[in-house]
Amino acid sequence: MLKTLFASAALSLSALTLALPAHAEYPERSIQAVIPWGPGGATDNVMRSLTPYVEKELGGKFILNNRPGGTAVIGSSYVMQQRANGYTVLLGAENPQLYKVLKLADFDYSDFYPVNIIGQNVVVIAANADAPFNNMAELLAASKANPDTLRMGSTGAGGLPSTISAMINAVDELKVREVTFGGDGPGITALMGKHIDFMPLSLAAARELVRSGKLKALAVFATEETPELPGVEPITKSLPAIAEYLPWGPFWGAFVHKDTPDDIKQKLVDAYAKAVANPEFQGFLKNFGAQSLNLQGAEAEEFLKRWQSVTTWSMYKAKAIEIAPDSVGIAKP
Amino acid sequence: MSETFSYLLMAWSDPNLMLLTALGTFAGIYIGAIPGLSVTMAVSILVSFTFAWDVNDALALIVGIFIGGVYGGSRSAILLNIPGAPSSVATAFDGYPLAQQGEAGRAIGLSTVMSVIGGLIGTLVLASAAPVIGDLALRFAPRDYFLVAAIGLLLVGSLSEGSLAKGIFAAALGAVIGLVGMDPVTAQGRFTMGQTELMGGIHYVVLMIGLFGVAEALYQLHNLDSPVVRQKVDKILPSVAMVLKFLPLSIRTSLIGVIVGVLPGVGGDIAALMAYDHAKRTVKNPTQPFGKGAYEGLVAPETANSAAVGGAYVPMLTLGMPGDAVTAVIIGALVVHGLNPGPMLMVENPHIFWFTVGNLALANIFLLVFGLMGIKLFAKIVELPKAILIPLILVLCVVGTYSVNSSMTEVFWMLGFGVLGYVLKIFGFQMGPIILGAILGPLMDTSYRQAMSSVGDNPVELFGELLSSPLSLILTSAMLLILLSNTPLLGWLKGRLRPASSN
Repeated sequence: MLKTLFASAALSLSALTLALPAHAEYPERSIQAVIPWGPGGATDNVMRSLTPYVEKELGGKFILNNRPGGTAVIGSSYVMQQRANGYTVLLGAENPQLYKVLKLADFDYSDFYPVNIIGQNVVVIAANADAPFNNMAELLAASKANPDTLRMGSTGAGGLPSTISAMINAVDELKVREVTFGGDGPGITALMGKHIDFMPLSLAAARELVRSGKLKALAVFATEETPELPGVEPITKSLPAIAEYLPWGPFWGAFVHKDTPDDIKQKLVDAYAKAVANPEFQGFLKNFGAQSLNLQGAEAEEFLKRWQSVTTWSMYKAKAIEIAPDSVGIAKP
Repeated sequence: MSETFSYLLMAWSDPNLMLLTALGTFAGIYIGAIPGLSVTMAVSILVSFTFAWDVNDALALIVGIFIGGVYGGSRSAILLNIPGAPSSVATAFDGYPLAQQGEAGRAIGLSTVMSVIGGLIGTLVLASAAPVIGDLALRFAPRDYFLVAAIGLLLVGSLSEGSLAKGIFAAALGAVIGLVGMDPVTAQGRFTMGQTELMGGIHYVVLMIGLFGVAEALYQLHNLDSPVVRQKVDKILPSVAMVLKFLPLSIRTSLIGVIVGVLPGVGGDIAALMAYDHAKRTVKNPTQPFGKGAYEGLVAPETANSAAVGGAYVPMLTLGMPGDAVTAVIIGALVVHGLNPGPMLMVENPHIFWFTVGNLALANIFLLVFGLMGIKLFAKIVELPKAILIPLILVLCVVGTYSVNSSMTEVFWMLGFGVLGYVLKIFGFQMGPIILGAILGPLMDTSYRQAMSSVGDNPVELFGELLSSPLSLILTSAMLLILLSNTPLLGWLKGRLRPASSN
């Protein structure tokens, strides 16, 4: 293994010396890829796994750079401020689509060019294995019997749990105490210790704990059962009205500045499309508990629009946000 | 059983793994010694680097860096009064005075041996009781984290030399700095003045580098003419008698380290400060007064922060939950390598657990070797002319800060904190309490709000829980006890009771 270490060191050295371009063709130098979330998180994991395949397809080197903070506002706005030459790529998640309605920033993904919508996460409503409710209907009944007593783990305004609870509240009533944690990890720890009663989580975060019996899944946030969690009912079984928002899941994508030259956009789009389709990466996504999307061009833009519209309007309906989405240019679904 | 044994010895018997562990430990010491170059960062770079490697190779290198890096922070703390990492803030309290007395070599020797003892105790606890203490960590409710943070803030009493009022002011200042950024619940900016750059808050490492690195460099400009302290470089190794003398203390502080390390969100930095406080309270006759070069003041934080490494691995290996920032990245590494970190990891991939245990022990042995190597050379750093040393420190501070989040804004903040720290230093304020406040302030904020929202914002119910839950009751009484012993109230009570009993 040391051999590989030296070999790659030697390789990068020779790459440096050979970097003088024979003809200026993109990419002629390394590309900075900004991950607006911290190391070790879900977005970071997906991007670090995908990047080697993209490098192979594109024939260039990516420097992965974590710039976390402010629900990804800092990293995303950094990419917006860079030159539109294709040498700064944003590897982000769904968050910017909510910035306008949460008043976090005045931009969203419509200010970027979507290179690829890589995949999305399945959401499950998880509870401690000893919880008195076993499915969504029982959870709703418990919350209605004693409103504002059940404790829901949350990750703050605009986080996955508060978005999910807004969607449920848009079609039914789920009155709970929201206990906010710094992320999935501390929330799950509290859920295992029975300090909270339930928490909407991504399948990637919850699957191993459900499989080991520490947590139980009450429902999958989809219209059908998911193969990774056999026997867990889709949420539409207890809440048919929520179907209008589905399919829904937090997603990951690669983005560049809107004004990037078209030929560079095309090169990136092709490289990412092939890399995401790579069977090895597909295997990683499956093992990670995520669904592959691999959308580009108009399809990707359509996906982003629908996601933003569905999410913000359901949040508005559930009074989780005060700003009417159409006042910031988000059309009704 | 024999399988367990073979996993345990895996790193010891495979020359390749052994070499990688050694390489990691060696590199870790130097990464840790430079303020701002953190173990978290080194490990996350390695994750991309080792993508195509065998998972054992990657883990061996990471374990080495982790162990080496946590120890490495003590180097610069002792030699330059600049902790290389937040977990060695407490090491500087007595380590730097020792270097000033010409005992830098001895201080490094002692801290090396003690780090190894702490690291081995941490590993032993991990190996023997991981599932039990993993469950213990789960019992900590938000209100208990609040109590831990409150107990931690009371350390300000032992961290502030001289004026307690100044110490409390410093801790409050730190807490306010720690609260800058996005509100964790409402996602609104706090003290950001509309600046996007401040939405992510001010990283406490940025604060630490400014307050300790730049402020110290500026402060040393005051005594440019003072003669250089000649370092005694014989007798670097602590004698067996000395190690035995400190053994009871080091076992107690190691256990503090493991327990604090197990708790997610609280790590080696708090463990080291708590251990220092514990030593100050319990050791009656230190070799020199605390803060003036007591060996005990070196032993306590160094054993605790190394033992916390073993602790941080406990929730990671038993539950798939990170015990600190580094283990969070290691979990990511396991995912990238196609393993599923979680409670089933120990069942389905038991080799990862035992391999890690064996590897941690091995890395500690390498630490002993590399840590004791080259001390003579290192001790000479203190003898460097100030004209070389001070610019060098400033350059390292800038590089280190930029490397935290690749942000120039943070570099400017760091320099600003440096000037602020320099001014505060002149007026007799301590830097330790500021860092304490910056680390614990946000923890107290979030855990208090979690505890309150769990009981539907009903303070009476929260108060009831503080007394009814056994764990909370223990923590509440510990807090009250520390509070009483820190204030004149206890002496006053004793004075009142004595005449009463003699009647």
